[in-house]
Amino acid sequence: MSFNPIALNEKRFLISGAASGLGRATSVLLSKLGAELVLLDINEEGLNSTKGLCGDAAVNCITANLQNPVEIKPVIIGAVEKWGKLNGFVHLAGRPYVSPLKSINHNTTTEIFNLNTYSAIELAKVFTNKNVYAGEAGSIVFISSVYGFVGSAANVGYAMSKAALHGVTKSLSIELASKNIRVNCVAPGFVKTKMLDNVSGSFNQDYYNTLNNLHPLGLGEADDVANAIAFLLSDMSKWITGTILSVDGGFTAQ
Amino acid sequence: MENFLNQMAELLEVDSVNPQDEITSFDAWDSLTSLSIIALADDEYSVTISAQDILNAKIIGDLYQFIQSKK
Repeated sequence: MSFNPIALNEKRFLISGAASGLGRATSVLLSKLGAELVLLDINEEGLNSTKGLCGDAAVNCITANLQNPVEIKPVIIGAVEKWGKLNGFVHLAGRPYVSPLKSINHNTTTEIFNLNTYSAIELAKVFTNKNVYAGEAGSIVFISSVYGFVGSAANVGYAMSKAALHGVTKSLSIELASKNIRVNCVAPGFVKTKMLDNVSGSFNQDYYNTLNNLHPLGLGEADDVANAIAFLLSDMSKWITGTILSVDGGFTAQ
Repeated sequence: MENFLNQMAELLEVDSVNPQDEITSFDAWDSLTSLSIIALADDEYSVTISAQDILNAKIIGDLYQFIQSKK
């Protein structure tokens, strides 16, 4: 057997937001690395498509609306009873919110916070339950954004939700270290996904060009982020916790 | 319509607007105001519009009709 320190054989992870974009790319990569997966999303059709892309790997799907915290625990407990305990999870579910300050809406901001941020905390709360966590090599990976670090106009609600994840990462990394659970966060720049297409629809070509120029290495691919997630889930990063890993083509290096 | 006019007046930073007013004629008009109108359409009317849609509408009344037609 060849040396592969990033192999994830005999480990089981839950992936939120697995129906598309970064979640789909991450699921496909982790399955290739030997992990068993539980895919979570509100979009059942998208989940089935992702599962299809994972080939013969042990992949199962569950649906829940993460904006409603009370839905989370029952579906995960049910999944663990069927398929076994988890070694960790990746919280990729999230959505953008482009709105200048003067049109910010409380209800929408609360929805964004619940999905992008609070559900991360709720997932962690459920995962650390002794009936859910496998008890060894625990790893949690959150996904924030360059906008957790730097500002941009018309982005206050989204930036709030992502910057908050940095605090969540550091706080939980301390709280969960004694359980041998590492907690890290990946902060991506703009990658070519459907979400970017949807957001870019609000802007003109000049803005798109500006966005591209903000990344010294150009816009990223979903696999660039998935690779970082795989590293943080694997034993290669076993001495890394509480870190925010920028995967942004140099966006925040400037 | 009246509620929409009040919302547009707030985004365009004036006391009131009329359906015949040109959207881009206000002092507060800029790209951020355009984004604010897009967010308003999404949040309040569950309609997705683009910056070009706003420019195509030209006047506030036609923008209102456009949003209504997409509901």
